[in-house]
Amino acid sequence: MTFAIFLEQIINGLIIGSMYALIGSGIALVYGTMRVLNLAHGEFYMLGGYFVFFLAVTYGVPSYLAIPVAVVATFILGMLIQRLTVHYLMGKEAWMFSTIAATLGLSIFLQNAALLTFGEQFQSVPYYLDGMIEIGSVRLPLQRLLILVVAIVTIGAMTFILKKTRLGWAIRATAQDRDAAAVVGIPAQHIYLITFGIAGALGAVAAAMLAPIYAINPWSGMPILLKGFVVVILGGLGSFPGAIAGGLLLGVVEAIGVQLTSSEWRDVIGFAMMIAVIWWRPWGLFGKKPS
Amino acid sequence: MFQPVKPSQWLIIAVALLGMVAVPLVTRNPYLLHVLILSMIFGIFASAWNLVAGFGGMKTFGHHAFFGIGAYVSALLSIKLGLSPWLTIWLGALAATATGLFIGLPILRIRSMAHVAIVTLGFAEIVRIVISNLQTITRGELGLWGIRPFEGFTLPLLGKVVFSPADKVPYYYLILLLLIASTAVIMLLMRSRTGLSIIAMRDAEDAAESLGVNLTRQKLLVFGISAFLVGISGAFYAHYISILTPTAAVGIDLMILVIAMALVGGLSTFSGPLIGALILTGIVELLRDLDQYRLLVYGAIIILIVMFLPKGLTTLGPVFRRRFASRSSS
Amino acid sequence: MADTPILTVEGLNVLYGDYQVLWDVSMQVGQSEVVAVLGPNGSGKSTVLKAIMGLAPAKSGKVMFEGQDITRVPTHEMVGLGIAMVLERRRLFSAMTVRENVLLGAYHRSVSKEARNRLEWVESLFPILAERRDQIAGKMSGGEQQMVAIARSLMSKPRLLLMDEPYLGLSPRVVKQIGEIIKRINQDGVAVIFNEQNVQLSFGLSNHGYLLEGGRVVLSGTGDEMIHSDVIRRVYLGV
Repeated sequence: MTFAIFLEQIINGLIIGSMYALIGSGIALVYGTMRVLNLAHGEFYMLGGYFVFFLAVTYGVPSYLAIPVAVVATFILGMLIQRLTVHYLMGKEAWMFSTIAATLGLSIFLQNAALLTFGEQFQSVPYYLDGMIEIGSVRLPLQRLLILVVAIVTIGAMTFILKKTRLGWAIRATAQDRDAAAVVGIPAQHIYLITFGIAGALGAVAAAMLAPIYAINPWSGMPILLKGFVVVILGGLGSFPGAIAGGLLLGVVEAIGVQLTSSEWRDVIGFAMMIAVIWWRPWGLFGKKPS
Repeated sequence: MFQPVKPSQWLIIAVALLGMVAVPLVTRNPYLLHVLILSMIFGIFASAWNLVAGFGGMKTFGHHAFFGIGAYVSALLSIKLGLSPWLTIWLGALAATATGLFIGLPILRIRSMAHVAIVTLGFAEIVRIVISNLQTITRGELGLWGIRPFEGFTLPLLGKVVFSPADKVPYYYLILLLLIASTAVIMLLMRSRTGLSIIAMRDAEDAAESLGVNLTRQKLLVFGISAFLVGISGAFYAHYISILTPTAAVGIDLMILVIAMALVGGLSTFSGPLIGALILTGIVELLRDLDQYRLLVYGAIIILIVMFLPKGLTTLGPVFRRRFASRSSS
Repeated sequence: MADTPILTVEGLNVLYGDYQVLWDVSMQVGQSEVVAVLGPNGSGKSTVLKAIMGLAPAKSGKVMFEGQDITRVPTHEMVGLGIAMVLERRRLFSAMTVRENVLLGAYHRSVSKEARNRLEWVESLFPILAERRDQIAGKMSGGEQQMVAIARSLMSKPRLLLMDEPYLGLSPRVVKQIGEIIKRINQDGVAVIFNEQNVQLSFGLSNHGYLLEGGRVVLSGTGDEMIHSDVIRRVYLGV
């Protein structure tokens, strides 16, 4: 392997990792804010992908319009799911388990509903950008570069929302202390609803950007959910910046690991790393040990 | 938490047992027997999961790994080494136990339910991918076929017993025996000191998100026993169905099915997982012609049960009895 | 009581599951009063404040604020009505900065426009807030955190302030400081109801108190009346 190819693999790892980061940060946001582990999170990715496909391919909407519309649709879907299932379980007896179980049921339900409605054929979306860019000896398709740009913009926007806006402050306050947030006038239920929507939207952004590379199919949610889980364990469950770092790390480790073994072992590498982290630092690689 | 078994309950257990023993005497309908055999395989699986997730309060989502390991180890040992399935099913179960203890160690250190769910799901994925990738040994998704059936034997009075696809009766009695044994193990365990301390520990752990270290030998023991029982049900499945694919024997659909069974019947009860297994296996077979709706229905069942009947069907029994009692007394 | 009551609690019953914590509790807070809720550990004094704020479920009974029934008003609406609360053990947003914590006190729509003016005012009250504004709140000392918590509650311009164990875990010097602050808040026209285990400490502040035992009000009166009552001695000393 030449150095250029190695570098290319690292860059590709970072690019895919940036999408893992979006998936993981959605899981982290929901868990951090409401302590709900959403096993249906992968279905945001799956359905977001279909939304993009139908808009862009079936109806020929230009992609710069199709993608935002799909993201908004998934945002609404996320809120609907929260309101119809999770909302009902929160605060009841054994809600921590019942929300995991219900979202697992929801995941399998949505997966099979998609299978029955959209069929089992794999769909794909054409590249948003054609062409290559060469930096030194490293060649990079513009499409992949676009993924990275979108990831940076999305993560930047999310950071801005969380740090600088009224909504972001309310999300962080609710995450840290729900009662104290209610006392200062923050309606937790409202925040939970929006947080679920945001998680859905983040999943849809990842789906839109990966749609031209990976096929859209009814089963695509579960593998991406599991990637997201690896990401949040690496970064510390519930931490937004941790999920970003965890996503990039997973992308790079997978890229190197696949070079050393073969692509069919890609997932095993990630899961093995996750189990090692759970064993060694259950609070994540980047965070501090909770007291 | 457990009352002594009342005479009326002994009666119910006895009647249920007699009924199960009597079924092949009444009908030899292979289709019906097949459904009941599957129900019992999943009954063991669901009961063993319930042992950990219900009684133990450790909400794992990766028990399908133990089913697959039990199935593949037993099948491969009997094929590659020519060992008798009567021996290999125990070896398969032991392999599942060993894996269970290995993965149990990091899991049981952590109390956080979300971490446990994630790590067990991920672990089972590793097992599935490894089995799927080791094609030279397992044939991957092409399927491992030609798994040897159990050898026959001769019983006094009853004559020759032959395990073949044509006659389900020997399989029926064998899995019934395994089901009774595993249920007895679970009941005895939970009524022992170990069981009581496990439940006490579960009820004391209200801080479900804490990352505090919480490893005890009792928990590991319960986890190991659970993995063993799931392993044996997987091993039996291998020699009964005689073809294995990673998707069918280690796929997450399997775990979802078993979770649905335990939830439908009722978590943390002895009979719940068994009743759930019978009901859901029955529904699967009723939906055989509508196979594409099968998983859709499972998903919906899990959501609805969790939302509207979180303690499962078996808890309806006492409710009905109370209503009936109050009506007849008034 | 010369004051018109700002808060009236009538026959409040609170259950956690099957366990009844408050039995038929009634009390009143005058418009310019500081009222102490006293009682030993586990007497339910904290639950009274939580129930008023909607953080504990009232099974029956009534909570009236300025003549309006607020028994079923959700917690996050209380701020808008003019009620603020300092929770037990401060309960700051510990990973956020001091400034963020204080500003969140003016989150509610009814006051968010005035947040900047309020901030100036509470910073004049507690100069430490301006000095330490970028510090992570969770890393401050207990006394400093209590000041941030009080400042946060004042951001919403409350007319009634509930304080759950404001002295808990603080050194005598800080207790004195916090006491002065509570007095000053009261002089600025905010009615205060707080709970505290220590009777002497409470009547340094309040003119009127209620004593709870086993979830029931067993005594009420002015500081002098209560300090010299046999009931107090029985409840606290068991004689």
